Amino acid sequence: MATTVSLPPTPYTATTHKYESGLWSWLSTTDHKRVGQLYLYTSLFWFLVGGLEAGMIRTQLYGPNGHFVSATTYNELFTMHGTTMIFLVIMPLSAAFFNFLIPLQIGARDVAFPRLNAFSYWVFLFGGLFINASWFFHAAPNAGWFGYAPLTTRPYSPGLNIDFWVIGLQILGISSLAAGFNFITTIINMRAPGMHFMRMPVFTWMAFITQFLIVLAFPIITVALTFLMLDRFFGTNFYEVSAGADPLLWQHLFWLFGHPEVYILILPAFGLVSEVIPVFSRKPLFGYPVMIYSGILIAFLGFGVWAHHMFAVGMGPIADSFFSITTMLIAIPTGVKIFNWLGTMWGGSLRFTTAMKFAIGLVALFTIGGISGVMHASPPSDLQQTDSYFIVAHFHYVLFGGSMMGLFAGLYFFYPKITGRLMGEKAGSWHFWLTAIGMNLTFFPMHFLGLHGMPRRISTYDAGQGWEQDNHLASYGAILIVIGTCFFVYNWFRSMKTGKVAGNDPWGGATLEWMIPSPPPDYNFATIPNVTSRYPLWDRKSPRLTAEVPHGSAAETKIDVEVAGQKTGTLPAPSDTTGNAASPQPVTSSAKQLGIVMPTPTIRPLLAALSLGSVFIGLIMHKNLPIMFLAAICFMLSLYSWLLTPLEPEHH
Amino acid sequence: MATAAIESHDPHAGAHPATSTGLNNTKIAIWAFIGSECFFFASLISTYLIYKGRSLVGPFPHEAWTDPSTHQVFKAILNIPITSVSTFVLLMSSLAMVLAHSAVVRGDRKSSKIWLASTALLGATFLGFQAYEFTSFVHEGLTIHTNLFGSSFFILTGFHGAHVTAGVIWLLTLLFIDIKRGLTPDEAINVDVCALYWHFVDVVWIAIFTLVYLIK
Amino acid sequence: MTRDLRMRWLTPALALLLVLSLSACTSFTPNSIFGAHSQFGHIVDSLTRKLVVLGAIVFVLVETLIVFILVKFRERDGNREAKQFHGNATLEIGWTLVPAIILAFIAVPTIKTIFETEAKAPPSALQVEVIGHQWWWEFRYPQYGITTANELYLPVGRTANFALTTKDVLHSFWIPQLDGKRDLISNHTNYIWFTPDSAFAWNGFCAEYCGTSHANMRFKVFTVAPAEFDAWAAHQKTNAVGSAPPAPAPGAATDSAKGTPPVTKIATAVGTTTPAGEVAPPPVATPVMNVSDTVSATFPRNKLPEWVIPKTPTPAALTFDASATGDATRGMTLFRTAPCIACHAIRGVPTAQGIVGPNLTHVGGRTTIAGGIYPNDLHHLELWIKNAPAMKPGSLMPLFGKAEKGATPGVYTDQQIADLAAYLSSLK
Repeated sequence: MATTVSLPPTPYTATTHKYESGLWSWLSTTDHKRVGQLYLYTSLFWFLVGGLEAGMIRTQLYGPNGHFVSATTYNELFTMHGTTMIFLVIMPLSAAFFNFLIPLQIGARDVAFPRLNAFSYWVFLFGGLFINASWFFHAAPNAGWFGYAPLTTRPYSPGLNIDFWVIGLQILGISSLAAGFNFITTIINMRAPGMHFMRMPVFTWMAFITQFLIVLAFPIITVALTFLMLDRFFGTNFYEVSAGADPLLWQHLFWLFGHPEVYILILPAFGLVSEVIPVFSRKPLFGYPVMIYSGILIAFLGFGVWAHHMFAVGMGPIADSFFSITTMLIAIPTGVKIFNWLGTMWGGSLRFTTAMKFAIGLVALFTIGGISGVMHASPPSDLQQTDSYFIVAHFHYVLFGGSMMGLFAGLYFFYPKITGRLMGEKAGSWHFWLTAIGMNLTFFPMHFLGLHGMPRRISTYDAGQGWEQDNHLASYGAILIVIGTCFFVYNWFRSMKTGKVAGNDPWGGATLEWMIPSPPPDYNFATIPNVTSRYPLWDRKSPRLTAEVPHGSAAETKIDVEVAGQKTGTLPAPSDTTGNAASPQPVTSSAKQLGIVMPTPTIRPLLAALSLGSVFIGLIMHKNLPIMFLAAICFMLSLYSWLLTPLEPEHH
Repeated sequence: MATAAIESHDPHAGAHPATSTGLNNTKIAIWAFIGSECFFFASLISTYLIYKGRSLVGPFPHEAWTDPSTHQVFKAILNIPITSVSTFVLLMSSLAMVLAHSAVVRGDRKSSKIWLASTALLGATFLGFQAYEFTSFVHEGLTIHTNLFGSSFFILTGFHGAHVTAGVIWLLTLLFIDIKRGLTPDEAINVDVCALYWHFVDVVWIAIFTLVYLIK
Repeated sequence: MTRDLRMRWLTPALALLLVLSLSACTSFTPNSIFGAHSQFGHIVDSLTRKLVVLGAIVFVLVETLIVFILVKFRERDGNREAKQFHGNATLEIGWTLVPAIILAFIAVPTIKTIFETEAKAPPSALQVEVIGHQWWWEFRYPQYGITTANELYLPVGRTANFALTTKDVLHSFWIPQLDGKRDLISNHTNYIWFTPDSAFAWNGFCAEYCGTSHANMRFKVFTVAPAEFDAWAAHQKTNAVGSAPPAPAPGAATDSAKGTPPVTKIATAVGTTTPAGEVAPPPVATPVMNVSDTVSATFPRNKLPEWVIPKTPTPAALTFDASATGDATRGMTLFRTAPCIACHAIRGVPTAQGIVGPNLTHVGGRTTIAGGIYPNDLHHLELWIKNAPAMKPGSLMPLFGKAEKGATPGVYTDQQIADLAAYLSSLK
């Protein structure tokens, strides 16, 4: 059992690798780990911006008839808060993990299309800046994150606000789609020998499912947004009420995308938590196959429930019943996941690190969001709940209590792998408890606000409606979240300098990423590992932990695949079983010394992204055709220059 | 949307070491891309069908319409015989595409150039038909502004036309490379991927032709 | 050590528990969806209660289980052994089936309720057309030929069937204490119906985001005894006070032909429309209005509950000349040629036939103005006419006060505005 994972012939440890630095190296990078970090820092920045917007919302709503901001500004704030948190925080923060982790977890040296990966990031960066540039024109989007037509059409929103929104989302969609094709290919095709689908780490699995959701759901919103864009700029009639258009077209298209989008937001967090809980329970994940199948089932059913967002539009009893039943069905695989996490912890020896605390936070808080979700799966009951603060409470339990908690768990867990140092546990604990208490203080009272008749998206409410107390509580909770976030930011930057050196495997992890140095060298694996079970590293270090999970046969370990000029195959089992602590002296080896061919850094993806973005800048400048045309030419040129340049230096 | 196709030009994609499935990366990516495109066109076609018969004013696709205020008569817009011809042209281009691919696989440089050129030419012919169709519709009084039919018809077929255009550019690029230095059999994957895309665009047209033109 | 560890996370955990219980303490809930006052409300109420109870049970079970696991299986000194198991088919099947069964208990009453609440309204129902505007509500009673704004009168015990349409963007019609939401959708007519079972005043809201003043698109509902409703309806049909001698208003002839349905007929309608057992016994509405006096056939101001009286503060920068005392007659003369008539209609005033803004025929009898956000008194009316956009962000009604800063220049002095306000207030 112990001789199940092959190891590199040359051991290495932390701090052996030194990144190239300098602005140019970042602009031209194609390294998935660097692209991942770009995603990470960009989305954390937007997290602070989105949080600032939330803080202003809670200030305005602290008391009745608030006048901290005007109604116009308030509408911009809640629209941008939603848009930011969904498209510029949770999705790209998940993408940061996809980028950083997927190749490491499947034992690859990079993603399938490294330059396309860089392109995705630059387009995302551009899209985020584009949408937020609206603030400087006093024209931030103001129709809510789901921008229902006809409010978004030119007659009712003549300003630039919706132009920024519709074009910005379109740009972000391009980024997500490009990344989706890339990761699907990476996961299908770049797995190390022996890394069968049913041995893939659960995070990679959830990421895999998420990519399918992205690739299938984003074209739908692309079409919906294209219609809106054409209506606004070129006078088509898709949402033009006077031409007989049906505003429900937008709603159906939007939610056909929008509900899978909810799972795009939550599944990566589920994956992260499924990595964290087993490690800190010192047990393999309970029901691994069930976790995978339930993830697939959630994604599949996710395409058949969209109209539960529309019970109030009057679809008729048959449609209401259908979508009610499918929505209830989706609760079953979700519940199964919760129980499997509990099964993982059951009988374990739980270590309450900050990462584990956040992971448990997801399990406990997402449950609340799930329960309230089932409550509005019932259409007659939903007629009282929809568009009230009850819904606001529900989706914040799902997205903050679920996605953000899971992502925080992932950040604390993988911080040492990204930076080489551990994050402070004490400040982490403060961060967790302040966030958890603040989060509940903010969002739990919102259930009652909704049940007590407070509609959502209102910039003010009248005194004497029975809403004052709960709004006070919600605003106090927001203060706690802000303080907690300060702990997080402080901890993040301080740990970078003074955190404990992590070594390869600070937590006793089970998957491939923990067998290489932190931060990993640009080539990740000196030798591509050969995988024989779900927990390759536990097989090596503490085989007791994986004694019961299925393993490959001995013959399987003799796969003889040549990777980048190097043979991978069975290698003798190492003598040490304690991980990094007993590793021999560091050996500094660059990719070149090891004879590994890495992609050449290139600025071309950035140029392509910039010129593509300029097409959209031309569009928002009142259809400035010369700019659009010029930018399109530049895009074609940079594309050809990119595609006709080899990925790797030609010397092998 | 066209980004997956981008990387597939990469002549070195095929030079990568063995993959988990043994399939080329670009090929998997193009399949994922095609899956995505299915949902893209499904949304466009659904919109057309949802709005069918809901235009407040004419002209209409299959029946004549008299403007109640001006008493001007607009005849039915769609010209099925002409579009049948262009559909046939596009179908033939798929055949040419298959022959081009097999020529590259065989290393038959002469045939590969001929068939790549014919595919591109047939594609361009289809676009020519579409340009003629669009201009005549505009002359007959149907624009994207006219009614729901005009908006959904032009945008649906226009997006398909844009895909054909991208395909023609792609084919011409391959043809250019073939003429300049020749496509070797181990580069056949690049033609293969282009062919997958081309056939997909063709299949989408069959769906559009059936649902938009033939079914009244 | 172990004890310390436990204590350390007990404090924040208790704080968390406190937080959850704190938020449930509000007792004053005038717009609660529970304790409904209509047949619709009762049906949905009982369903929602089922969901809340089941949800609470699941919540307590799961969270207790989590806490139990965290305490029982925490890492202890000298014990770092974890039991090594990684799956159990029986358990997996178990926790798939149990939620499925619980969901079946929700699904069955849900489907039953869907078909019950979305059935067609009985033909004898009071028809009300609800038309959404940015940001106010137009209400029409086609059986009575009445058009009014922002305030609904409904007879207790008679089913009211609402036909919902919108003039511009989407809105949603919601009276938390009486019915659930139904969206107003362009190019669609939606329906919702309910039978109020007690006489009172209620708050209504727009629940679908509809632009700048979405928060300020409210309305009031008065459920009154059938006789009182008839009196109100009869009064609403009359021409405005102080207007020209009563001429038959458009549609009035057909209205009288249809006639007002007699009270007795209503009573039988109630019997047929209420499903057995679901609804409280036939309602007995205590009369609150002075029916004999048609001029005051509106819900008496002094009986309004506190929470339906708007308390929106007026903008500090907006002032009004306190010495200007309005004269209704002067105001009437001014109104008939003022720009007001481009948007507003007053029955009996031939020049005032605008349809863009609320119908003002009996505006003086309403308790609120401006989409239910200000009380209807002279002071607020004057400020409103003087500078509506300042009173209500995004208001499509322009400002009229001289020297006010806005998109269009104002034309009227405070004295003229006071006259207009006095006139409008007199239209009881």
